Parts: sequence; C-alpha cells; structure tokens
Amino acid sequence: MDPVIARVLVESAVKIALFFFILLTVVAYMTLVERRVSAWIQDRQGPNRVGPFGLLQPLADGIKFLFKEEVTPPHVYRPVYLLAPMLIFVPALVTFSVIPIGPALELFGQRVRLQIADVDNGVLVILAFASMGVYGIALAGWSSSNKYSLMGALRSSAQLISYELAMGLSIVGVLMAAGSLRLNDIVQHQIEHGWNLIWQLPGFLIFLTAAFAETNRLPFDLPEAETELVAGYHTEYSGMRFSMFYMAEYANMVTASALAVTLYCGGYHVPGLHLLRLPEPAAALVQVLAFGLKVGFFLFLYVWVRWTLPRFRYDQLMNLGWKVLLPVAVLHILWVSFLVLMNWT
Amino acid sequence: MRVEFFLLIGALLFAIGCAGVLIRRNAIVILMCIELMLNAVNLTFVAFALENQSMTGHIFVFFVMTVAAAEAAIGLAIVIALFRRRRTTDVEDASLMRW
Amino acid sequence: MTIHLLLGLVLILFVFAAVRALAPSRTLLAGTVLGIGALALLAVNYQALLSPEFWAGLIGFVAILSALMVVIHPNPMVSILFLIVNLFCIALFYLILRAEFLAVLQIIIYAGAIMVLFVFVVMLLNLKAEEGLRLGGGPQRWGALLLAVVFVLLMFHALHDRSDQPYVEPGAFESGFGSARALGGLLFSRYLVAFEAASLLLIAGMVGAVVVAKRKVG
Repeated sequence: MDPVIARVLVESAVKIALFFFILLTVVAYMTLVERRVSAWIQDRQGPNRVGPFGLLQPLADGIKFLFKEEVTPPHVYRPVYLLAPMLIFVPALVTFSVIPIGPALELFGQRVRLQIADVDNGVLVILAFASMGVYGIALAGWSSSNKYSLMGALRSSAQLISYELAMGLSIVGVLMAAGSLRLNDIVQHQIEHGWNLIWQLPGFLIFLTAAFAETNRLPFDLPEAETELVAGYHTEYSGMRFSMFYMAEYANMVTASALAVTLYCGGYHVPGLHLLRLPEPAAALVQVLAFGLKVGFFLFLYVWVRWTLPRFRYDQLMNLGWKVLLPVAVLHILWVSFLVLMNWT
Repeated sequence: MRVEFFLLIGALLFAIGCAGVLIRRNAIVILMCIELMLNAVNLTFVAFALENQSMTGHIFVFFVMTVAAAEAAIGLAIVIALFRRRRTTDVEDASLMRW
Repeated sequence: MTIHLLLGLVLILFVFAAVRALAPSRTLLAGTVLGIGALALLAVNYQALLSPEFWAGLIGFVAILSALMVVIHPNPMVSILFLIVNLFCIALFYLILRAEFLAVLQIIIYAGAIMVLFVFVVMLLNLKAEEGLRLGGGPQRWGALLLAVVFVLLMFHALHDRSDQPYVEPGAFESGFGSARALGGLLFSRYLVAFEAASLLLIAGMVGAVVVAKRKVG
C-alpha cells in the first residue's frame, strides 16, 4: 500500500478513536456534572455515594441502562423506530470532527493537526450536519404512533429549523471577518485580530441563544418537557435506546459549546502564551487544556441556565426565533460588514 | 474518472424519477420523484462542468437547487390545501375537472 | 473490471437484503450469507478498495437502489428516507467530481431543508402506507415503463462511444476549482442578475407557500 495513504489512514483512525473516546467520556460525566451543579444551585448535595465525590456515578448509570428491559410497544413502525436513536447521535459526532482542539504540532516526525478533518468548508459541514439533526427527533416522534410523541416531534423540528437560520446568520458574521470557511483560518484570524467575542458580541449572543434552542435545552426544552408532553418525542423509548437520546443531547451540548469556543472565543488560543516561550509540545498541551476549560465553562453555562430560567411557551419560542433573532442577526451582519469595510477586524 | 459513468447514473436516476411521476398516485411521492429528476440533471451538469473545466455548470446547479427548493415548498403547500378539502393526497381523486 | 461489477452486485444484494431485514428470516439468512461472501471476495481482492472506480461504482449502485425504493415503497415516510440516502449519494458524487462546495450545499439545502419540509408534511397529514400500492392508470404505467427503458437504451447508445471528446487529466485544473471562492466570484460578477432574481424567486415562494397553505378563517 502506498505509504502516504497508509499514514493518512493510521492517523485518521487514531484521531477518530481518541476524539470519540474523549467525547463519550465527557458526555458520561456531563450527566454527573448536571446533577451535582443543579444540586449546588438548589442548595443540596448531588450524588456523592458511588465512588469519591460520586465520580463513579456515570458508570453505575450506564450499567443500569444496560440491564433495563427494552420494551418495544407493538404499535410502532419498527424500522424507523429502531433507526431514530442512531440517527440522532451522528450529527453531533460528525460536527465535532471538524473542530480543532489545538495547534498543529510535530509528532513522530510528522506535522499533525489536532483535528480529524481539516476540510476547506468546515463551517458549511457544521451547518449541514446541524440541519441533519432534525431527522432523529422527527422520525422518533413519528414512528412512535403516539399523539404526544408526534406533537413533541413536530414542535421540536419546527424549533430546530427556526433557530438554524439565526445560527447560520450569526456564523456569517464570523465568516465575513475571517474571510474563509476553514475553522483553522477562523481561529488564526482570532489569534491575530482579537477574539470574535469582543468585536461581534450581538452575534455571539444570537449564536448562544440559537445553540440553546438547537440542543433542546431549557429554556427551549418544551418538546421534551416532562410536565407538558409526557416525555415528548422519546416517550415510547426505554432502556438503552432511551439512553441514546439522553447521551445524544449531551453530545450535542458538547459540540455546540466547542463550536461557540472555536467561532467566538478564540478556539485553543491563550492570550500571552507566546511570552512564556515554552517548547512546542508544552505550549500545545497548554492550549489544548485551555480549549477544554473554555468548553467546560460553556457546559457549566448550559447547566446553570437550565436550572435558573423557566421554560418558554411554544409561541414565545417561535416569536423569539423569527421576530427577534432573525432581524437582529441581519442587523449584526450589517455591523460586521461595516467592521470589515473599516478594516477594524 | 470517466465522465460517461456519471452521465449514465444521471440518466438512470432521471428515468427512475420519470417513471415514478407517472406511476405513483400519492402527490407527495410524485413531488419526491420530481426532486429525483432534478438531482439527476444536477449530476449531469456537474459532470460536464468537470469535463469542460468550467464552473458554469456549478452555477447552473446552484440555481437549480434554489428553484427546486421554492418549487417543493409551493408544491407541498398546494398538497396541504388539497388535503384540507378532500382528505386525501391521491391525485386520482383530484378529478373534478376531468371530462 | 468484471470482478468490480460482481462485487458491486453482491454488495447490492446484501444491501437489499438488509433493507428487507424484517421480512421472513430466510431473506435475512440469505442476505447474511451473501454479505459474508462479498466480504470474502473483497478480502481476496483488496486492491479494489483503493481504486476510485470501485467506490464510485458502489455509490452508484446505492444511489440507483435507493431511487428504486423511493418509487416502489408504499409508505411515504420510508420513501423520504430512501430519497435522503439518494441525496447523500449524489453529494458523494459531487465530492468525487471536485465540486466540494456543491456537495455540502446539497446536504444543507436538499437533505437538510427540502426533505425536512417533506417530513413535516407527511407528519402533519399523518399519511399511512398506501394499501397494496394501487399504481396509477391502466395504460399509463406500462407507457411509463416503456418510456423509461427506451430512454435508458438511448442514453447507453449515445454515450458508449465518446472517443471524439477530449479526455481531461484529473489534475489539470487550477486549485480553486469547485471551491466556495470560485463559485462566489462567478455569482457576484457574471451571474449577478440571476442571483438577485433567485432571491426574488425565493421570497415569492415563501409568501406563496404561506398564502396557499393558510387556513382560511371565517
């Protein structure tokens, strides 16, 4: 086999395995983080029995889900019912594969990018697979043959496609400033010209709101609200399949946080790191850790907002998406074009 | 890659879509087969764009996608309006103006 | 070449058997045996995995199979799912044909927006599978099949000998071919009027769809 092809295959396989493992571990521990942080906000203890500080709780939860009986109701449309939980996971993973978690560095004599796929249209791939995320939910609700699931699925799909627009328009602001669709170029632009958070604050807020809506998290979680629709689109799922929905929601959260960090908060950039004059591997490690900390902050923000704000009513939600976020996003694009024209960014 | 391969795949997809439009009775499936035909045409455009080293083919595909999106939206709106009156999406039942 | 066709055919039968996986288990057994056979053939002839012709052929088979299932399957939702598979195959073709921007655009627009529209409508109208798939018209369906076959034969005849056309070397393009930058440059210079007209078309489509589908009050 051609050595170049062999090298590319091995490198990609290792990166995919590593990223997948990291993502799944973070997703598993997010369940624990959610419960501990929500307990802290509500002035009580969270799970702290299983292992020190409850750190083995995700393992216990995983074992529980594995052993739970999977009840498949007889009235569901089986092929699609079985397909939906798998469909809902894939967009989060694919979107995560184009995000750079660190700078390029020399490893084993090769120049390695800390990114699975350095495509020229990275941002478009993100938008593409964000719009694919609608299918898992819509199909889960439809195949369940249950009017509450159908309502939840319809509401969720409508919410997702409405907020996709605002998200896309806010990303257009970032694209205009950076002049390229590659995520590495966007991070590089932020390293040179200051984080997009500073220059494009309205766009950042729009993106954050849209990201909350895209991941079906409070205050936008009416589609799966326990008090309103039984459990929304995943009512008829149990056992391992239900846990797939649960994990997929957290995976989407991690991906959305990583996106917010990459597009607006400078990615893996640590301002002032070059002053320390560290050797290259150490500097790369510090930057990867910085990326992790920033993503962790956004995950904490997700949990914080969930347990602080009440839920939006459905018409308020759609109002916000179409009548507020969309015009503000268009005005924001005007602002960014002004910035680019004056060469301030 | 030989371009004829892609042209043949495009032709096959177009023929399948065309047969689908003529055979199926559900209005939504007919609209889907129209989308299939449009995609086959897009594939042919892109294949020829590669062969002639010209990006004009890509521009055509861009506009075909735009028009297909608008047409799908309006077609589905018509199907919904029809369904409200007749409670069926069967095109054989929309025969009020037939002789 | 024949080994490629054979592999493609066997793999396609495997995919078809997987599609019918909920039929009586004999199909599943036959499909599994064929699938293992295909994998064994592949292991013996693994050079095929590296050739672009094999992958293009495989994607082509999947595209045609999913198109057939769109037309044949009685349940409209399943037809939509197969159409999504077909759209993904066409996006992969665009990647092979060096149209990277169009490939991603295909997924965003077709698979991610237009098909969602179809899914919405099927969910809202709560369409079930057509009983027995009564096909339309008497003479119409045979005319349709005849027309399709004649068309395909015509295309095969027209395309089987194109030796008078210039053969283009795969590496003979400037590096930005098919990129967003090149497409954007053309759109905003030579095709600007068409671009603006397309935006007008989309507005008209949006307003028209809302007006037509609106529930008339009173």
